[in-house]
Amino acid sequence: MNTQIMKKLFLYPAALYADKEPTQVVTILGSCVSVCLWDPVKQIGGINHFMLPLWNGQGLASPRYGDIAIEKLLSQLLELGSLKRNIKAKIFGGGEVLDFKNATFNIGARNIEIAQTMLNDLNIPIVARSVGGKLGRKILFFSDTGEVRMKFVGKEKPEQDSTT
Amino acid sequence: MNREQITDEFLLSELRKRFQEKEQAINELESMTQELKNVNTKLKESEQLKSHFIANINNEIINPFASVLGLSRSILDVKANDWEKVKYMAKLIFVEAHNLDFQLKNIFAAAEIEAGRVYPQISNVNVVQVIKGVVEDFENDLNAKRLTVEVFNETGLADKGTFYFKTDSEKFKLIMSNLISNAIKFSKGSNIEVRVSLETKDLVVAVKDYGIGISENNKKIIFDRFTRIDTGINSVNRGHGLGLSVVKAFIDLFNGDIKIESLMGKGTTFTVIIPEPDSTQNIDGYSAEGNEIFFDDDMEVF
Repeated sequence: MNTQIMKKLFLYPAALYADKEPTQVVTILGSCVSVCLWDPVKQIGGINHFMLPLWNGQGLASPRYGDIAIEKLLSQLLELGSLKRNIKAKIFGGGEVLDFKNATFNIGARNIEIAQTMLNDLNIPIVARSVGGKLGRKILFFSDTGEVRMKFVGKEKPEQDSTT
Repeated sequence: MNREQITDEFLLSELRKRFQEKEQAINELESMTQELKNVNTKLKESEQLKSHFIANINNEIINPFASVLGLSRSILDVKANDWEKVKYMAKLIFVEAHNLDFQLKNIFAAAEIEAGRVYPQISNVNVVQVIKGVVEDFENDLNAKRLTVEVFNETGLADKGTFYFKTDSEKFKLIMSNLISNAIKFSKGSNIEVRVSLETKDLVVAVKDYGIGISENNKKIIFDRFTRIDTGINSVNRGHGLGLSVVKAFIDLFNGDIKIESLMGKGTTFTVIIPEPDSTQNIDGYSAEGNEIFFDDDMEVF
């Protein structure tokens, strides 16, 4: 793979990326979840990085929230010309890393839950996932092939629910 | 026999435990339902506010544009040597244009945040100078209300005019513009104080006004989009109610915090806390530098 000249991007929390241009997107996930959507037919893809499951009407309706992040990512892929029936999903993150900023402790689990529920409702198959556990994850997403390279970050040995 | 006794006790405690669990579950469900109800009303309100917002665009954008156009046409018609008149009208154009620019920046910032296209562009920023620049931009509104803004550099540096901090200068500027604009709007004839300090590597900026204050209820909704505390027909204040929601989103992006202290009739202090970009140890935190990740043998491929 020609990884040298590909466009590279570091995806911030609450951001979202989808483009026709093949891009390597890196992001770091703790209790946050990233949904990677990609279309193998058109070879385009996109990724989000949400921090909380649902927008509760507070602040701006940004992709900081799972429901909005997933909806917006899908609509961007459709705008780029993908057909919904071709789109596949991979989900990552949602670890129970201690995050004192969030009062609710099971934020990771709720983030995973919203991703799975929404994708099921949208009839988008989840073809790979690495979610939960107690560790953070670094992922590298190739927007054209949909390939995801993942590395755990943190101290403990991974104990996650992982299926490919 | 012995076993039965244990079983009885065990059963009782087990029963109690289960009842407690059930009660807890019911409580949780009740609070969830309540939360859902709240969210539902909020979403409905949000929709209404959105239509209100679109209706407002007329006042907020078309009208200032009409003034700019009219004024610049008048300047073209001014007789030679009447500099005072030109200067006066140019000033009015500046005020309208500055206001437009400010409103549009908020609208575009909100749109970008909602589209998930916001990235911090960190550089070394002289925050004191940025704040003073913002104050200058609002000079006209300040004069109109006979207000002054005092900027205090409490970082302990000898040079009071400079304090460098690694942040996103454009976003920081918009945060300050919104807070200062707000302070001006709600001030009741006294000065506004801006204090810049450094607390364990965090930049702390407090904007204090001696205005009408914010009620406890309004504190909860003040960062929601399209929310305007002052929506009466006689409202002299302009704005879309996007400013503070943009402030909040940018501060979230910086992994920072914003606090409101307010006393009705006495005034309000907004305190912004922005951590140094690389100091965040939080795994969900970010640092664009140092994230050239090495994916070696240890990685998994999906």
